[in-house]
Amino acid sequence: MSIILSALQYLGYILIFPGFLFCFLGGMLLCGIDRKIVAKMQKRVGPPVLQPFYDFFKLCGKETIVPAAAAKTTFLMAPLVGLAALVVIQLFIPVFHFSAFSGMADIIVILYLLLIPALSIIIGGAASGSPYAGVGLSREMVTVIACELPLVLVLLAVAKTVGSALGTGLCFSLTEIAAYQAANGSLILRASMIPAALAFLLVIPGETGNHPFDAAEAETEICEGMLAEYSGPPLAVYKLSHAIKMLTLTSLFVALFLGGIGGKIVNILALLGLTGGAAGALGVLLGAVVLFLLCALITIVCISLVHAATARLKIEQIFKYYWTVVSALALMSLVLAWYGL
Amino acid sequence: MFKKLIAESAAKSPWLFHINAGSCNGCDIELVSVLTPRYDAERLGFKLAGSPRHADIVVVTGPVTTQSLPRVLRAISQVPEPRCIVTMGSCPQSGNVFRGSYSVAGPLSKYVHVDVDVAGCAPKPEAVIDGLALATKILKEKRGR
Repeated sequence: MSIILSALQYLGYILIFPGFLFCFLGGMLLCGIDRKIVAKMQKRVGPPVLQPFYDFFKLCGKETIVPAAAAKTTFLMAPLVGLAALVVIQLFIPVFHFSAFSGMADIIVILYLLLIPALSIIIGGAASGSPYAGVGLSREMVTVIACELPLVLVLLAVAKTVGSALGTGLCFSLTEIAAYQAANGSLILRASMIPAALAFLLVIPGETGNHPFDAAEAETEICEGMLAEYSGPPLAVYKLSHAIKMLTLTSLFVALFLGGIGGKIVNILALLGLTGGAAGALGVLLGAVVLFLLCALITIVCISLVHAATARLKIEQIFKYYWTVVSALALMSLVLAWYGL
Repeated sequence: MFKKLIAESAAKSPWLFHINAGSCNGCDIELVSVLTPRYDAERLGFKLAGSPRHADIVVVTGPVTTQSLPRVLRAISQVPEPRCIVTMGSCPQSGNVFRGSYSVAGPLSKYVHVDVDVAGCAPKPEAVIDGLALATKILKEKRGR
């Protein structure tokens, strides 16, 4: 009996809360908020916030065309692999003090899993046999490599800060980082972590392929690159993956730098005199809402405002920018953390 | 229920693909102005797609020259069903001042089924939005079948 119950619980985790349903709704809403804010900044009315849902369901109802030159199975399966990897990452990221699969994976696993969606889109594009996809995937590879160095440096800086405080050297466990922040306040409040947080904020639009860093999907130059040959449901899955990636990266930012807020939520519930199972469930629900609101705020700051204010960079400019400015910021934090500041 | 959701969404999220079939660039500019802050067609869900495979509505401008005809037909055949074809300006509808020229193969309706014609040289942005709104209705009907 208990096995069935725990199996059901895990199924619930995977399908509903940190898993698929939360990702779907949260990611799509983030995407809608992003489009609305960009429109507002350009003095337009903008699409409704639910627009990404309409786009998704419309694409589900369209015909799927597989080009004659494409490798059919790879072409159709690649989007699903990327989507699955993103949902798995979301399962591993703790929502403040609650985490669905705690202790099973740390930052390093997430770092590897973050590569899979980019790889899936590269493989799918390569399988489509389109020359536009060829140009797009070479640019996507460069973008991924460009983002990877600052991302690793940021994660190392966070691991070193928490690790030296706990006396374990480097701490790669996200649950321990969350617990540390709940006890000692958010990491972003430390002066030494502010450059790393800035670097992470700059990495987010590059990883998701949002506006100034979207040379790989430039729709006006190379017909949306790797997506050029996709239509119908597989395209819908790619659009969904893009939306979920925004949620995943912003919630990773929340977990790494803003984790202290979770402790405050528990305090609020304790002040209201709630204890036991109901408080636990309510705490998770409240945590999810706060997480989404923080994600929306970060999306607006680092994706929408940047989108509305900048023009698309060339691929070599993206690479240079990430390996100089952003990496320098992250490295600054790492050095400060290494000397225990 | 799911079918109804898709039909409703089809009317709310029409993506455009623009083909220039030998146009003088007048209509092309007017089509872009429809997406600018003043008219903002994105509030109705319109978006310019980069690839014909992503599109729902194909907007054709220009008198369809003999050089462009095979390419126009090929691009239209790449748009997944259900799709809608809108001609913009008088040129693809009648040939306009280029009618009878040795290099003009139009009108477009000789070769494919055209759903909506927006006449004018160039049509006003209001007329273009009106035509596109009509096209979304047709899209929804096509989806509902």
